[in-house]
Amino acid sequence: MAAQLLAACGGGSAGSGGRATLNFYSFPDNSGAVQQAVDTCTKNSGGRYVIKYNKLPNAADGQRQQLVRRLAARDTSLDILGLDVTWEAEFAEAGWIREWTGDNKTSASDGTLKVPLETATWKGKLYAVPYNSNTQLLWYRSDLVPNPPKTWNEMIDMSVALAKQGKPHLIEIQGAQYEGAVVWFNTLLASAGGSVLNADATSVTLGQPAVDALTVMKRLATSPAADPSLSVQMEDANRLAMESGTAAFEINYPFVYPSMKMNQPQLFKSFKWTLYPRVKADEPSHVTIGGIDLAISEYSPHPGLAFEAALCLRNRENQKVAAIKGGLPPTIADLYDDPSLQENYPFRKDIRTSLENASVRPKTPAYQNLSIVIGHTVSPPRGINPTSSEKSMRGQLKDALASKGLIP
Amino acid sequence: MSLNTQAVAAGEVQTETQAPRRQLSEGARADRRLGWMLCAPAVIVMIAVTAYPIVYAVILSLQRYDLRFPGQAKFIGLGNYAAVLSSPYWWQALKITLIITVISVIFEFVLGMLLALLMHRTIFGRGTVRTSILVPYGIVTVVAAFSWQYAWTPSTGYLAAVFGNGAPLTHTFQALAIIILAEVWKTTPFMALLLLAGLALVPEDLQKAGQVDGATAWQRFTRITLPLMKPAILVALLFRTLDAFRIFDNIFVLTSGGQNTGSVSILGYDNLFTALNLGIGSAISILIFICVAIIAFLFIKGFGAAAPGTQVKR
Amino acid sequence: MAVTARQRTGWGAANTIVVILALVPVLWIVSLSFKDPATVTDATFWPKKWTLENYRGIFKTSEFTHALLNSIGIAIISTLIAVVLASMAAYAVARLEFPGKGLLIGMSLLIAMFPAISLVTPLFNIERALHLFDTWPGLIIPYITFGLPLGIYTLSAFFREIPWELEKAAKMDGATPFQAFTKVIAPLAAPGMFTTAILVFIFCWNDFLFAISLTSTTRARTVPAAIGFFTGSSQFTAPTGSISAAAVIITIPIILFVLFFQRRIVAGLTSGAVKG
Repeated sequence: MAAQLLAACGGGSAGSGGRATLNFYSFPDNSGAVQQAVDTCTKNSGGRYVIKYNKLPNAADGQRQQLVRRLAARDTSLDILGLDVTWEAEFAEAGWIREWTGDNKTSASDGTLKVPLETATWKGKLYAVPYNSNTQLLWYRSDLVPNPPKTWNEMIDMSVALAKQGKPHLIEIQGAQYEGAVVWFNTLLASAGGSVLNADATSVTLGQPAVDALTVMKRLATSPAADPSLSVQMEDANRLAMESGTAAFEINYPFVYPSMKMNQPQLFKSFKWTLYPRVKADEPSHVTIGGIDLAISEYSPHPGLAFEAALCLRNRENQKVAAIKGGLPPTIADLYDDPSLQENYPFRKDIRTSLENASVRPKTPAYQNLSIVIGHTVSPPRGINPTSSEKSMRGQLKDALASKGLIP
Repeated sequence: MSLNTQAVAAGEVQTETQAPRRQLSEGARADRRLGWMLCAPAVIVMIAVTAYPIVYAVILSLQRYDLRFPGQAKFIGLGNYAAVLSSPYWWQALKITLIITVISVIFEFVLGMLLALLMHRTIFGRGTVRTSILVPYGIVTVVAAFSWQYAWTPSTGYLAAVFGNGAPLTHTFQALAIIILAEVWKTTPFMALLLLAGLALVPEDLQKAGQVDGATAWQRFTRITLPLMKPAILVALLFRTLDAFRIFDNIFVLTSGGQNTGSVSILGYDNLFTALNLGIGSAISILIFICVAIIAFLFIKGFGAAAPGTQVKR
Repeated sequence: MAVTARQRTGWGAANTIVVILALVPVLWIVSLSFKDPATVTDATFWPKKWTLENYRGIFKTSEFTHALLNSIGIAIISTLIAVVLASMAAYAVARLEFPGKGLLIGMSLLIAMFPAISLVTPLFNIERALHLFDTWPGLIIPYITFGLPLGIYTLSAFFREIPWELEKAAKMDGATPFQAFTKVIAPLAAPGMFTTAILVFIFCWNDFLFAISLTSTTRARTVPAAIGFFTGSSQFTAPTGSISAAAVIITIPIILFVLFFQRRIVAGLTSGAVKG
C-alpha cells in the first residue's frame, strides 16, 4: 500500500540533494562485522543514504525496552531495527513495523532458510528479513565419551555411569529463570512432537508431549548429571564450567568453540560436537532457534531507502563476514556450502541440519508473558512435577495469552 | 539557654511564646515572604518535573491498557487494583520485600551506629577509616551485585568455596541471605554517614557532664547521645527504609527474581516493561507507593517532634 | 588525655576489621579487572595471570571516555544546583514559620517515595517533546528533582541543630553580618552541606534507570548505562573483565571526592561555640 508507493518514489526527502541518514539500531557487535556491513552498504548506496549504526544495550530485554519506548512514542529517528526473533508478532500487531511486500519480499525470502523466515512472518505476512540465526549443538569430551549419545535419556545414563567412575560427568545446560530455560523447554516440547500454542496461536495445547519434556528436565535436574548451579546458570556459566573440566557434556551455542580453542588448548583437542539430543529415539530433535531479523520502523521517514539498506546489510557477503568475524550462523542457505567457512565453522553442516529441522518459540504478540510463565514453571528444574506443572502452566498460559492478570 | 538568647529574643524576631497575637507582625510577615521565596525554586523544579508523570501514572492505573494493543485502552476504575490484590504473586512478592526490608534495615542501623561511633571516636587513621567505609556506597550497584554473584558461584568465586560449594544462590533462604548481605554491605555507609553527622552535633560538654555525674558509657549513650540524635536517626531510618522497600538492582542481578526471591519492584518491572501492561504495572507502582507511604507515616508519627519542619527552634 | 597502649590496640583492631570488611569485596572487583578472561573460572581471589587487557579494551573506543565525562559533568552540576536549592528550602523549613511548610515536606516525601519505574515513560515523552532527550539537561533536571527530597530532609535536620542565636551574639560582639555568617554560621552549616553533597553526588553517579531511559547516544549516556553496552567476545559471554575495569575506574573519583570532603563532615566545632 503506502509502502509500495514510497518505495517507488525513493522515499521523500532524500531526493533534494541531501543524503538521508538511516538510523540502524541493533545489538552491540564488537567483532566489527556489523560496522563493516554498515560501511559497505553506505558506500554502495551511490550517495543516496548514509547508514548510522546505533548500538542498543547488550541484553535482549534492554534492547526491547529501548525500542518499545521509542516506537510507542512514534519516534521518527528510528529506521532499521535489529529485532530478536521473538518480537516480530508483538511489534507487528502493535503497528510498529512495516510489512514487506512485492520485490522487497521476494528478495528477502529467496535463498533464505525456511525456519528463520518463519520467525519474521506473522498472520501470513512478512514483517522482517532474517539477518542471522543461532542454534544449539551438543558438545562433548571425546576422551570421556567415545560415542556421543543420541537421546537425552542415553546422555543422562552415560553421565551417571561416568559419575560412578569418579570422572567429570556434568551435563551443562541453561536452567536459570530466563529465556534460556524457555528455549530448553520449547526444544524438548517440539522434539517430543508437541507445541505450546495451536497453529493460529489462539489457544494453548501442551498436553502429553509437554509432560514428556518436563519429565526429561526433571530427570536431569535430580540426577548426578546436574550442575549444582543449574538453576542460576546461563549460557556463559555453562561455557565456563565446561572449560574448567568438570563437565562431560554441554548444550550450547557455537560461541563455545573459539572460546575453548583460545582458553583451553589442551581440552580443545578432545572437544567435539554433534546434533542436539533427541527426546524420542525415532524423531530428530527440533532445536528452538534464536537470531536477529531486520525490520523497518513504521515511523521511518525514508522507508523505501530503509528497505533497500536492510537488504544490503543482510546480503550474502555481509552474512559471510558476520559468520567468520562474529561467529553468527547465516540465514542464507547456500552459505553453508561455502568452503571459506571451513576453518572457523567446521560444524556448519550440523548447524544447517539443525536449522532445517528447527522449531520456533510460540508466535504471538503476548509472547513475553508466555515466556515469563514458562520460565517460572521450569526453573528451578528440580522443582518440576511433570503432570501438575503441565496443568498449572496450561492455566497460566491461557491467561497470559489473553494478557489477563499479573505475570509473576 | 544563655543570657544572650534572651537578649536576642527580645529584639527583632518573634518567638513562639509571643505567637498568640492575631494580627501578624512585621517580622512574621517578613518571615513568610522570605520562607516562600527561599522554597520557591525547589518547589517549582519538583512540581514541574513530577506533576505530569505522577498524574499520568495514576490515570494509567485506572485503565486497562496494554501497550501492544493501544486501540483497546479503556477505563476500568479500580479493576487493576482488584486484580493485583487478589493475585498470589503480589502477596508473595510483598512478603519477600518485607523480610528483606526489615532484616536489612535493622542490620544497617546497628552496624551504621557502630561505624558512626568508630568514625567519630577513633583516635588514629580517621581519614582511612572514613574513606574505606564510604567506598562501598560509591560503587555502582549493579557492578557490586555482579561481583557478589561471581563470588558466590561455585568454582568461580572465593566465597562459594567457603560454604562448601553448595551454590547458595539456588536456594531461597540462602539466596535471600546473600541479597541482604549485598544490600547491607552497599548501603550501611549511607546510614553511618547520616548517623555520624548527627553524632557530631552532640555537644562534647554534655558528655563530659554525664561522665562527671558518674554515668557509664552505655548510660551516656542511651540517655544523652541517642535522644539528641533523633532528627538524624529519623532521616537515616526513613530514607533507608523507603529505599530498602523498593529494592531492585541486587535481586535483579543476583537471582533475576528466581527461586521466589522477587520483590514488589521486580513484579512491577516485569508487568510494566516486559508484559507492557501499563494498567497493571502502574497499579502495582501505586500500591508500592501506598505501602511506602504507610511506612513513612508510621516513622514520622513514631518520631514525633524530631520530624523536620515541626517546631521551629529559637 | 593520655592515650593508653591498650586503647590504641583496641581502636586499631576495630579500624582494621572495619576496613577489611568494607574493602574486601572491592578488592575482589579489582582482582577481576586484572584477571585474564581465560582464568576467570579459577576460584582464586587474586589473578594467577595479571593482565592490563581489560583496561586497554575499555579505552580502545571513545565510548567509555565520553560516558566518564558525561557522568562527571552531570553529577557535579546536579549536585551543586540541588544542594543550593535544598539549602535555601531547608533554611526556610528549619528557621522560619510560613504556611505551606507542611505541604513542602509532604511533597518532597511524596517524590522520594514514588516508584521511579512508572515515572520514566512519561518523563521520556515530555523530554522528547521538549527536545531534551539525550542531552545533559535531560538528565540534570530529573537528578535535581529526585535529589531535592533527600537534600531538604538532611539539611533541615542539620539546620535545626545550629544555634542561630550565635549569629546575633557575634554581631553584638561587634562582627559585621558577613563576618557573623562566615565565621560563625557557615562552619556549623558546612558539615551538613558536605554530607548532603556527597549523598546527592553518589545518587546521581550511580543512577541507572534514568540514565538508560533518557539517553540514547554517547552524547549524554553516563557510565552506569554505558556498562550495559559492554560486550564480551560473543553475545553470551559476560564481559566481566571490562565491567570490573570500568567499575574500578569510576570508583576512583568517588574515593577522591570522599577523601577530600570527609574531613569537613565531622563538625567537632560546636563544642567550642556553645560554651559561655
